Amino acid sequence: MTTMTDANNPPVPERIAKSPSHWRNRKHADHFRNHDEEFDASKFGMWLFLTTEVLLFAGIFVAYAVFRMMYPEAWANGSNHLDWVYGGANTVVLLISSWTAASAVRCAQINNQKWLKINLIITILCAGLFLFIKFKYEYMVKLGDGKAPGTFFSYPNASDAHEQLWWSLYYMGTGLHALHVVIGAGLLCWVLVRSIKYQAYGPTEYTMVENTALYWHIVDLIWIFLFPLLYLVH
Amino acid sequence: MSQHAAPSSELSWDPENPHGSTSHEHHVVSWQILLLVLLALLGCTALTVGVYNLESWIESAFEISIPRWINVFGAMSIATVKAVLVCAFFMQLRYDKALNTFALLFCLVGVGLYMTFILIDLNTRGTIYEFKVGEKIVGGTGVGLNTPGIDDRFNSRLSPHISTGGVGIVAYARLTGNAKYPGLNTYRLDDSPDEAVFWKKFYAGHATRRDNLDEFNYFESLGFATHGDPKQSTANLSIPRYGLTAGLFDEVAPQEHAGGHAPAHEEGGQEETNDDNGH
Repeated sequence: MTTMTDANNPPVPERIAKSPSHWRNRKHADHFRNHDEEFDASKFGMWLFLTTEVLLFAGIFVAYAVFRMMYPEAWANGSNHLDWVYGGANTVVLLISSWTAASAVRCAQINNQKWLKINLIITILCAGLFLFIKFKYEYMVKLGDGKAPGTFFSYPNASDAHEQLWWSLYYMGTGLHALHVVIGAGLLCWVLVRSIKYQAYGPTEYTMVENTALYWHIVDLIWIFLFPLLYLVH
Repeated sequence: MSQHAAPSSELSWDPENPHGSTSHEHHVVSWQILLLVLLALLGCTALTVGVYNLESWIESAFEISIPRWINVFGAMSIATVKAVLVCAFFMQLRYDKALNTFALLFCLVGVGLYMTFILIDLNTRGTIYEFKVGEKIVGGTGVGLNTPGIDDRFNSRLSPHISTGGVGIVAYARLTGNAKYPGLNTYRLDDSPDEAVFWKKFYAGHATRRDNLDEFNYFESLGFATHGDPKQSTANLSIPRYGLTAGLFDEVAPQEHAGGHAPAHEEGGQEETNDDNGH
């Protein structure tokens, strides 16, 4: 495939151009007929994995629905303890990072190596910012108040006997989501490193960028539902 | 069979590529669309937060309560729109093979079934319990539930740590607390003439050990010295609460004579109030 060469794509050093990891030099696996078939198979595999991720979080959402039906007062009280400002800030951070992740895929597709890296870096920084807000302004403050999950619950002003259930679910849901943010950031770092070292991703070879971006979008997607359920619905 | 083996130009299919060409141009989403989708997502976020704040404001300004389903329905509708946008454009399902969309929809149908049947179960338990209670009284053994056990060694206090006698664990904790501190329920903050008097009585009436409800000293038998660690909060243990207590979130000025009653609360609680009041 012919690709544009412009200011964003200065000629690559020979060491990189001849690397077997450079996107032009990548061979598809023997059991695939061509790159596209390999790409489609990988992407479908990623989607199947993402469905299991959805099912994993479905357990949390169903637990939310069940406990909300059983203890509506505890759920209303718990929701009132959360500040929508931090939840909303984190939503914006994740949406922007999702946008840069999608843009990173686009940059790989049009062989814009410079902006591929910039987009990846912004996405990773957003992941860090998300975790920072989550831990510094939410987890630490709430744990300091005694709003802790399960048997660690010691918040003195609880007005409903089941509020600790709310906090257990809050930490379970957001904690599992934060774990996914960490994993997604790790994958993005890997893509970034390979992009810097080998220019590993380009128009004919961007499976890893695409699949990592898909993972990142599902993290965003989960948060899109967690945010209103935890912070806004009461 | 052999006559089909030789490739011929008249064949309508290519033996080298029997399922048709899988080679295709990948769709590149334009940056304008990506940016528009981002703006739409941010707009939806602002909208859902705005609706939430509007509802809160209406509820407090006009002192009415909006039905909760409106709140849930609104927030979930906007979240669904956002999710569709992310799936269609950021995850490129719109431009992709339909197979990936099918995988996701199949999964969502599974989630829907999961949630539906659990909620149906939860909603109809009253009917089932009513039905089953009748069965239980008749019983397979012909012995009523209230009949004393045949062998006291096994039937009495089967598991003292777990058995709550059929009530919920919180209710059980309250019951045992009431048995241990008779009169605990007889005074409440609402009834108290003076808040300070209430708190003095309250702290005096409460043991502050971590295991004050644990009559078997279970935690101590495990080797946990739970006494008097100022960093460990002793709040909310065994304290019955009745609705949102008025004045609970206010600062309570410590009383001079209240010092001797609550060893653990002295360390954490009172120091804080001292600081707050500038003593």
